[in-house]
Parts: sequence; structure tokens; C-alpha cells
Amino acid sequence: MKLSDMRNSISDFWKEFRKVKSGIVGLCLFMFFLILVVFEPSLLQFPEANNRWRDINYWENNPKSAPPEWTNFFSSKKSSTSAVLKNPEEIDKEMGSMRMKEYVFEYDYDFDVPPQDIVFMANGSGDPMVLISIERPDGETIDLIQQSFSLGNANRIRVSMGKDSFNEVMDFASEYEDYSIVSQLDLSKISLCEIIFSEAKMGMTKSKVPLKGTYKIKITSFLQNSSDSIGEAQIVIPGAVFGVLGTDSYKRDLFSGVIAGIKWALLIGILTAVISVSVGVIYGVISAYLGGVWDTIMMRIFEIFVSVPLLPVLIVMSAVFKPSIWTLIFMMCMFFWVGPVRTVRSMAMQIREETYIEASRALGASHSRIIFKHMVPLLIPYSFASMAIYIPNAIVYEATVSLLGLGDANIVTWGQILSDANSSGAMLNGIWWWVIPPGLSIAVMGMAFAFIGFAMDKILHPKLRTR
Amino acid sequence: MTALLSQFSVNRGSSMYGKYVLKRVLNGIFIYIVLIFIYSFLFNMTMETTVRAQIEEIVRAEVMSLSNSKITPSEIEQYGLRRKTELYSIYKLDKPVGERILFRALNVLTFQYGKSTMIKSAAGSNDVITIVLEAVPKTLILFSTAMIIDIIIGLWLGIKKAQKPGKTLDKSTSVATMIVFGMPSWWLGMLMIMFFAYIVKIFPSGGLHSTPAPEGFAYFIDSLYHLTLPVLTLVILGFWGRSFLTRNIVLGVLQEDFIMSARARGIPERKVLYGHGMRTAAPPIVTMALLALLTSVSGNIVFETIFSWTGMGNLYWVSVQQNDVPVLLGNLSFTTGLYISGLVILDLIYGFLDPRIKVGGKA
Repeated sequence: MKLSDMRNSISDFWKEFRKVKSGIVGLCLFMFFLILVVFEPSLLQFPEANNRWRDINYWENNPKSAPPEWTNFFSSKKSSTSAVLKNPEEIDKEMGSMRMKEYVFEYDYDFDVPPQDIVFMANGSGDPMVLISIERPDGETIDLIQQSFSLGNANRIRVSMGKDSFNEVMDFASEYEDYSIVSQLDLSKISLCEIIFSEAKMGMTKSKVPLKGTYKIKITSFLQNSSDSIGEAQIVIPGAVFGVLGTDSYKRDLFSGVIAGIKWALLIGILTAVISVSVGVIYGVISAYLGGVWDTIMMRIFEIFVSVPLLPVLIVMSAVFKPSIWTLIFMMCMFFWVGPVRTVRSMAMQIREETYIEASRALGASHSRIIFKHMVPLLIPYSFASMAIYIPNAIVYEATVSLLGLGDANIVTWGQILSDANSSGAMLNGIWWWVIPPGLSIAVMGMAFAFIGFAMDKILHPKLRTR
Repeated sequence: MTALLSQFSVNRGSSMYGKYVLKRVLNGIFIYIVLIFIYSFLFNMTMETTVRAQIEEIVRAEVMSLSNSKITPSEIEQYGLRRKTELYSIYKLDKPVGERILFRALNVLTFQYGKSTMIKSAAGSNDVITIVLEAVPKTLILFSTAMIIDIIIGLWLGIKKAQKPGKTLDKSTSVATMIVFGMPSWWLGMLMIMFFAYIVKIFPSGGLHSTPAPEGFAYFIDSLYHLTLPVLTLVILGFWGRSFLTRNIVLGVLQEDFIMSARARGIPERKVLYGHGMRTAAPPIVTMALLALLTSVSGNIVFETIFSWTGMGNLYWVSVQQNDVPVLLGNLSFTTGLYISGLVILDLIYGFLDPRIKVGGKA
């Protein structure tokens, strides 16, 4: 087959393909996924989501099990969005031998549901002492934290005000509320941010009315020695809602996970389908071309592979051999190649009888030349159609193996996200944003390739076309 | 279907069919044996590690029970070593690798899957075969119920589609087929549970029956109630594909010359479709339906886990979680046996329905 022939046949095929609407939709979806893969680095809010997906420390500043931000549009109660406050007002004072550094952050609170936490983050060294207080719009000031750090080698300061200021916040609440009620509260019953961001009055721990306005978070640090320092201060507010797709109960950003999963799904699907269909097509052609004893032996081997219950074997092999993603792809190829063999063999049986095959054999062409030059190219359109159909299968199989917790732990796939959702009881807790997006991605990607494959199939088998 | 059966009556060429049956069954057994040998070869190492650990456990327990008596420590040690070699020779662990693999394969072929490490059957037995046999009927009930409903709807819809190809019904259902094509059944199961068990509380979230299980007729109703959601999930995903394939087969047949001639003779369209068309289309449709049952069981087996349906699929999950290698491998061997028997039965039915097959011996 010459190059110009190839171009002609491709353009002919494209002319046919263009007419099938569903095929075009599938192709557009595929392109969309490809674009997402290409722009992944700029889309990821958490650039290290790929290799630190299972690293709890990487996600610690996110809210836990927070719904997506856009749910606010459908709710009458506005949930606080997640925010990072940077560039505070800075005051640097010398006080004798001590230095005092003061940061004032302003936070505009205009929501009904308070954030999950307020986290102060800074770089530092030595043994700084930090005081944190918050000035509310009603003029009240709550002293939240007073803590001395001895940083040693570590240089990171992290204070979670929503967790570590229980006594201080309860003191504040008891100024307005009955002491008997306040004394019975603990962290499992009430979130501290709910009190910090509520109107101060009798009954504030029961019926909370949000206090909207500008909050001033003041961080005062005392540096006693010359080696003590503090800098790059920022406040992270893990809101009640987060990002495009929310977070899971391990505080991971699900949008990053779903986006990072695209390339793996594409890789698993396309690589498995291309390898196994190629092997299957060549196997079928060789079997048909050689005929006789070879055909019998090859079909026997084929029969054995066909009789393997694929998913159970994949599960057991994954459980026993603990494969990486590449080994898993290899394992899937080992069983997927049987798919096209039967059809290809019967097609090749017909091709074998064509006169030009006889002619080239008479001319002394080698077996491999006849097989790869004259027979296999005729089956290329069929191969592409079956590849498209096999891609969703491979993706679903990987996801299923991952669901059992047998996936490659060094990457993020949609199946693994769903596996975590299943084992953490996301369904039970109604965390739909953890269950729907990854599964929907699998389904949509499967749909895209099904559209493409069925469209090709329609062109290749005109008999099934509508009358 | 009755027309079909009368046409290819059993009497006609029954000896030829008998030969075909024998050939096919023997072939199935041969494939099963080969696969079991391959499994033994692949998983021998893991299985042996487990067996060694089990022997260590037994010996330790025996030594512990001896330590209170008057025997000296050195004698106890000797006893332990002797027991170990004894047990090693029982399980052929002292033999060369080839012989061990052969031994393991023969054991599996005679359904001696060994003892489980963690999992116990409902009666408390830790024989792997008992545990597996307990799970089999549950899987069969779930999937065959789903498949029967699935095939009935699929067949009906497929014929409807083939009658008016390219019209709205055909096109819209074809699109739906492709939409659900790459959808994992267990994911839809998760959504169904989330919706029907936690948001709109009309179905139970899983299990075979309520605890405690009711008695008598109420038990039957209760089981059906628990069966509904998983079956519904499987049917929602399955019947599109079934109807699409039926449509393609029927449509292919309807374009044959004999259909055109039947129409030309003025035979009513209904009779053309069901009398002439379906008679030809039936063998591939039956095959397809049964093959669908097989692939559905093999491909959706994990789906049971989501619904806590304690069948074979759930057993895979549990044995993976508990790292119970004997149960995992025993379950795999049994699944393979069932799968191959399914394939053989499929071929037998196909040969029965389509007389050309049994004459040629090949499809």
C-alpha cells in the first residue's frame, strides 16, 4: 500500500465517517479529553496531586468532605468558600532585646455556613511565640491561641484555630450563654468556627445567627533570640464548600483527582486495545493463512484463552502478583487479544482465496510478506473499529480491579477514587460529589469510544445500515 | 420457539448430535484441565507459602499442647521437627517443583481446595469447597433473574427496533446503548444505593434478606425485596446491548432474499417476521443471550460487593481483603469450571438449534 493510496482511503473513510453524527460526537469528546490531558498542569490546583495523592500532609489545609462550590447556587444558605489570605498588614517592632512582628489579616465573611477551620501558616525558625486573636465585626475580640514553638530543624508553623482553641472559644461563648450548656459541649458536638462566626447572644450555641462583616485576624509573634524568625505568613480558610468538585473525607481535592485520572484512563484503554487487537488480528490472519495443522493448533490455543473467565483471573493475578499499572496492562493484553480472532480468521479465510494472493505466492513472495503486505492491511479498518470498542472495556476492567483495592498505588485512577469512596462509605454519608464525577468520567469516556466504534462499525457493515 | 423445536426434532440425526455432544464435552474437560494446570503453575508459589504457614501453625499448636506434659524440651523440639517433615511430605512440599505443581493441579481437579486461612462458611467449616459452594447458588440466582428479565425486554425491544430501522425508537435506543456501553455496573449500583436506599428510602442498601430473617412466605417476599435493586441495576445496564444485538441479527435476516420472496408472496408482515425471520434469527439470538449471561456473570461479578450480596463475586472481595489465598484460588478454579460448562452448554444448544453446526463440527 502506497502512501497516496493510504491518504485516499483515509479521506474516503472520513467522508463516510463525517455523516455519522454519533461518531462525530464521540470524536469531539475524545478531543475534549485529549485537550484536558494537554492542559492538565494548568488545570490542577494542586500540581502534585499525581504523586502525592495518598500523602495526607499534602491535603491537610483542605476542608473535609466539602461539597463543590457551585452547590451554593442551589441553596438558600450560602456556604463559606475556601480562601487563602495573603499579604497581611505587617508591623515590625523592636522591644528591647525582643522583636515583635504583627500580622493583621482581614476576612470578609458574607456567608450563612461558617468555614470548617482557620489555619495560620508561616515559615519560621528558632523558638517564636505566637498569639492569635480575632476581632469580630461587633467589636468583640477573642484571643484564640497562645503558643510557643520550638521549631528545631523544622521551619514550618501551622496552627489550626478551629481545633486548638477550644477553651478560649468556650470562654467567649460562656459570656453570653448559660455556663451549664457551654460546659457540656465538646468538639464532636460543635464546630468552633460556628461560634466564632455567630452573633453573640443568649442561646448562641443552639440557634446560630451568622454575623456577617469583616473579621480581623491578628497574629502577634515575639522573637526573643536573634536566630528566631517568622515570615511568609498566610491564613488558609478551609470553607464549607470547596473547588469545582469538592473534597473527599481524606481532604483531597476531587477535581485534581478526576483530571489526573484522564491520562491514565486513556493510556490504559488505548494501550491495551491497540496491543491486544493488533496481536489478535495478526494471530487470526496467520492462523487462517497457514491453515491445516497450524490452524488447528492455533485455534486450540485460542480456545483455551477464550475459556478463561477474564475478570476473576485478573483479580486473582492482581491479588497474587501486586502489579504496577504497566504489568496490569500487560495482563489485560494477555487475555484481551482473543476478542477479534474469530472474526478476523473468517475474514482472512476469504482473503486467502483471492487471486492476487495466489499470484504473489506464485511470484515467490514469502509468507510474512503476503501476511503483512497483502492481508493485514485489508483488516486495518476492522481493527480500528474493534480497538475503539475495546478501549472502554479495558478502562472498566482496570477500574474494577482498583475497586477491590488492587490498583497501582503510585498513580491516581478513577477506579481508585471510587474504591476509596466505597470503602469510606461515601454512599452512606451522601457524599455524591465523591461518587458521581469519577464514575461519570468512566462512563463518558466509554461512551465517546463506543460512539466512535459503532460509527466505524456502521460504515464497515453497510448491511446493518438503515434501509 | 416451538416451531423451532419441532423443525429440528431430536430424532432427526440424533446419533450425529450425540457424537457432537461427546466431542464438545470432552473438549471442554480438556480445556478445564489445561487451565487448572496453568493456574497451578502460576500460583504455586503463593499457595505453598500459605500452606507452609498453615503447617507452622499446626505444629506450633501441637507443641504448645505438649509443653505441659513431662516430656523434655529437646524431645518436644524433635517432635515438632518430625511433625513438620511428616506434614511436608503429606502436602508434597519436600518434592521437586514439577511434582508439586502436578500434585496441586490434581488436588484442584478433584475439588480438594484445602483449608481457608480466615474465612469460614455459615456452618463454621473452613473447607474452601464448602465456602465456595455456599456462594454459588446466590450468584446464580442474582444473575439469572437479571438475565431473564434483561433478555425478555431486550428481545422485545430489538424486534421493535428491527421493524422500523432508522426511526426514532431505533435511533434513540441505539444512542442509549452506546451511552451505557462503558458504564461500570458497580458504579451504577453505588448510585442506585445512594438514591434508593439513602435519599428515597424505598429499598434496602444490600444483603440477601433482613436480619433476623423472616420465616416461610414472608422470607420469600423479603428475599425478592432485597433482590430488586441489584437486579434493577443489571437490567438497566444490560437490556440495551441485548436489544441492539437482536436488532442487528434480525435486521440482517430480514434483508435476505427469502424474506423478500415471502413478502412478495403476500404473506402478512407479522408472519414474515415471526414465522420466517425469527426462525432463522433464533439460533444466534439464543447463543447471544446465553453468552451474555456468561459474560455478565464473569464481568460484573464484583458488582455483588456493592450490594453485600454474599455470592462468588463478594467472596473474591472478601478473600482479597482478608488475604485468604486458598479461598481466592479455589473460587477461581470453581468459577473457571462453571464458565467452561456454560460455554459447552452454549455450544450444545447452538448445535441443537442450527443443524449445520453439528454436521461440519465447526462454526
